Amino acid sequence: MTTAITFHAFAGADFWIGVGVLAATYGIFSLGLQLNVGTTGITNFGQAGFMAIGAYTMGILVVKDGWSWWWAMPAAIAASMVAAILVGLPSLRLRADYFAITTLAFSEIVRYLTDNTRSLTNGSQGLLGYSGGWVTLSVRFGGWLNDHGVHVTNFLFPLLLVSWALLIALALLVAAVVRTPWGRVLRAIREDEDAARALGKNTLAYKLQSLALSAALAAIAGFVLALNLTLLVPDEFDPVFTIFGFVIVILGGLGSYFGVLVGSVVLMTLLEGTRYVELPLAADKVAAIRFIIVGAVLILLMAFRPQGIFGKKQEMLLGE
Amino acid sequence: MSDAILEVERVEKRFGGVRAVDGASFGIERGSITALIGPNGAGKSTLFDIVSGFERAGGGAIRLDGRSIYHLPAYAIARRGLVRTFQLTKTLNVMTVLDNMLLAAPGHPGERLGGWLVRPFAARRREREARTHALELLETFDLSGHAGEYAGTLSGGQRKLLELARALMLSPRLVLLDEPLAGVNLTLGRRLLEHIEEMRTRDGTTVLFVEHDMEVVMNHSDRVIVMAQGRVIAEGSAQEVRKNETVVEAYLGKVVVG
Repeated sequence: MTTAITFHAFAGADFWIGVGVLAATYGIFSLGLQLNVGTTGITNFGQAGFMAIGAYTMGILVVKDGWSWWWAMPAAIAASMVAAILVGLPSLRLRADYFAITTLAFSEIVRYLTDNTRSLTNGSQGLLGYSGGWVTLSVRFGGWLNDHGVHVTNFLFPLLLVSWALLIALALLVAAVVRTPWGRVLRAIREDEDAARALGKNTLAYKLQSLALSAALAAIAGFVLALNLTLLVPDEFDPVFTIFGFVIVILGGLGSYFGVLVGSVVLMTLLEGTRYVELPLAADKVAAIRFIIVGAVLILLMAFRPQGIFGKKQEMLLGE
Repeated sequence: MSDAILEVERVEKRFGGVRAVDGASFGIERGSITALIGPNGAGKSTLFDIVSGFERAGGGAIRLDGRSIYHLPAYAIARRGLVRTFQLTKTLNVMTVLDNMLLAAPGHPGERLGGWLVRPFAARRREREARTHALELLETFDLSGHAGEYAGTLSGGQRKLLELARALMLSPRLVLLDEPLAGVNLTLGRRLLEHIEEMRTRDGTTVLFVEHDMEVVMNHSDRVIVMAQGRVIAEGSAQEVRKNETVVEAYLGKVVVG
């Protein structure tokens, strides 16, 4: 029996393009979580649900109702934000742990809905055919790149560029917004909500805004995911993806928006890389090993750099 | 009372079977420094929470300047000019001392989502004004040297000072101080008391404070309200209260007289 552990998949451009698109997708997704968890201190466990609402609203409007893409996207973002406000209004008044449970339940309800409202979503067979407009654009963009000396044959390459441009633009935007006095109130709420209330801040309104913005980011991440997959299936919105988002936020460092970018690349490289490591094991065991490796990396991080890659250690200690 | 800034009437609050506040009534005279005293469990902190909107009362009436604040949420009461501090200091330790102060600035257009974008000049102007006001207050409270440091690096006493200075950013009409001297050393404590008296003489701010140190209560308050078992059992000047037999029986006898 040969026990060959090979790494040649890592040398190919295709691997890194695939990782890059996923990193951008979950980077955008985790920017929202960073805003909620790292900046506002609300533990949103429903991010995958908001992503599902964004992606499915866009898909359904385009495929079933024949909407144009450009109208379907803002409508989907709005739908996701409305869902956030509806979920947040009753649950953000509760203690942090109840809010976490409520959002997790919400996320699962959305997933079950997408699985069972077959006339709208096609259930587990998947929703197909919304990405035609993008494919045309993508081919044209690829041709234009080729004419200008960028010769990459991978069909995901245009999506890689667009998704990273989006991620960087959104990261800069959120990081800028958080530095305004509005963001100062969010940070105050994270530290001590009662102190903020005693100083005249309507903390519920701020938490709702934070959650709605996060849901908008999840919807945008949902678009990128949808274009990457070209097929929407409920399994892509499992709560485990919210957990991946938390891993990204913790890896990068709580409160650091640049950290989200790095955390996302690290996590996706690990998750995708372990897929290609050939071990003399059955496929399901290899799949389990991926999670063990991610867990081990997190444990090492907590042991040696508990504040995350770009977190501030002093802030972590003072916050206790 | 002729000119009451705060009127509390028959306020009740039960936690399960316990009557934490059992029909407490009193008034706070405008411009006065009033001490709220009473043995542990008398309902002082619960009453503070109710008046400042952090707890819902089970009945009664509460008026600030003649207008009911009974149903208002905490943030709205603070905006009306009734600002409180906490027994366990609530400074925001991972924010700088200056940010703690700026956070409290009322009516800031930049605190609305997108306000910095929609009204950039108004927001920036407000931020500048707030900064000037904050630095003045920090100067008064001897904290300006720490403006750029994390509030968490200050000593316990300095954090009490910061909490008081921060409350003043709202230009309150009435401040509620929950044990402002707890855990503060003598020197800082004396300064804190000077600040409290100064803000009354300078700005006409009314002060209601909970305190256990009887010497402080007797020397630094115009009026004293005594609570026991959820009710107000006596009210008056420090001299009157210390002679009141009910009070002596319920509470003071063990501490002062003897």
